[in-house]
Amino acid sequence: MDTQLFLSGVIFGLSIGSIFFLMAIGLSLCFGLMRVISLDQLLYYSIGAYITYSLSLALGSVWLGVLGGMIMGGLASFAVERFIFRRIYERDVTFSMITTFGILIGGVGIIKSIWGLVPRPVPVPISTQIDIAGTAVPAYRLIVIVVAIAVYGAIWLFLNRTIVGKAIRAGIEDVEHVEGLGINVYRLFTITFIIAGVLSGLAGGLHAPLIMVDPVMGLEVLAFVFMVVIIGGLGSIKGTLVSAFLVGQVVSLGSLVYAPLAQMAPFAIMLLILLLKPTGLYGSPLLKR
Amino acid sequence: MSAAAPLLAVAALDVSYGESKVLFDIALDVAERQVVTCVGRNGAGKTTLLKTIAGFVKPSTGRIDANGKSLLGLPAYEIARQGVKYIPQDKKVFSDLTVRENLELGSYATRDYDWDQVIAYFPKLTQLMDRKAGHLSGGERQMLMIGRAILGRPKLLLIDEPTEGLAPSIVEQLKEVFKDLCRRAALVIVEQNLPLVCAISDKVYALREGRIVAELAGRDRLTPRVCEQYV
Repeated sequence: MDTQLFLSGVIFGLSIGSIFFLMAIGLSLCFGLMRVISLDQLLYYSIGAYITYSLSLALGSVWLGVLGGMIMGGLASFAVERFIFRRIYERDVTFSMITTFGILIGGVGIIKSIWGLVPRPVPVPISTQIDIAGTAVPAYRLIVIVVAIAVYGAIWLFLNRTIVGKAIRAGIEDVEHVEGLGINVYRLFTITFIIAGVLSGLAGGLHAPLIMVDPVMGLEVLAFVFMVVIIGGLGSIKGTLVSAFLVGQVVSLGSLVYAPLAQMAPFAIMLLILLLKPTGLYGSPLLKR
Repeated sequence: MSAAAPLLAVAALDVSYGESKVLFDIALDVAERQVVTCVGRNGAGKTTLLKTIAGFVKPSTGRIDANGKSLLGLPAYEIARQGVKYIPQDKKVFSDLTVRENLELGSYATRDYDWDQVIAYFPKLTQLMDRKAGHLSGGERQMLMIGRAILGRPKLLLIDEPTEGLAPSIVEQLKEVFKDLCRRAALVIVEQNLPLVCAISDKVYALREGRIVAELAGRDRLTPRVCEQYV
């Protein structure tokens, strides 16, 4: 493999890893705090992509579209939390997982009825190529990577420097003890769901110019996002970032070596890591609630 | 001891976990600034009783009133805001947060930022402020949990097995803390250490198989020897 091909493979892997990170971070936080496997985040990812498509057509700006996708992702997540999850927090993980899968499938149906079945293209907002060590790298992919790292920094600051963030970290350890202090944990749940929805919408909006937007795009990345969360360790933000970049690289470089590896290798890596460290790279043993 | 209307009144309380009934017709009352202890064997229902009062377990029937207002149906955080705080048995602090951050959460919930009261009871916490709570000893964790809970000046503290597994010197320190704390709040303590129970309690309820089988009060009845038959 020549250097140029390798370097573009690494950049591709980092950019796809960035998208996985933005989607997985919401799933990871929702599971860590509420013990809800929030598959509906994949719906907000699709919503983010479709809103980006529609707004970029209407307003001529993909960036405004991405912003609209984030807002719609956050609003949809807020509505689902308020009207559905509030009623099922007491139920076990299996029940909530089936519910979120139902929301995802129902949402895909609504997307089909609004936008149809035909895949939609979204233009790349920046077509500039940047030369890195003799390899032409699309600037847009670099922007996606920078956005993901900035989001990681912002989430880190939020969780470590704000009192609500500290309460969320404490809740990930033991939500009952947080409630026992007099903190309204349901408000923390709502905040977490909104953050997750906004980031899933951002992932969809940023990914839209790199793929064709279609109704089942969320289902297509489901396995990869799950892998990222599990490899990183449920509830760990740092683990999610490392794991997302790792899976991105395995998909990208694996496909350069031997195309079927792109699908298979991440599963092999996940099994290997779980054998060596069952809690994932940065996960702690889960408390049963 | 006070003869005024009780701060906490529990009546005809039944609690079940699914099909299994664990508390039967519990009735107790706690006056302001009173120290009430619950003793009994493992599985007698002591922890369930505290968790039910604190709102973490929903009773099947019965009444729980604090300050004349019913606590039934309120979420646990609302009960804590009304001044009824539960300190669980597991000595589980938020291990990924520092001692300072643990106290900040106590202050955030209650808007009480006066940490002097905490430091007055547990001066050692001053040196530990920037240490991750997960690295504290059992005694230090208990200090942090009590310190976190007294922020907001609660009217009633529900304390589950506070001295379990602690060194005698720490137990002695906690005894002095409880004696002082009861000047500002009522305490309901689940405890197996009978000399401690008898030294600090105004009243003892003995539980057996989910029922209150004895109510002990008065110097002559509050002795380890009398209490022993119930544990």
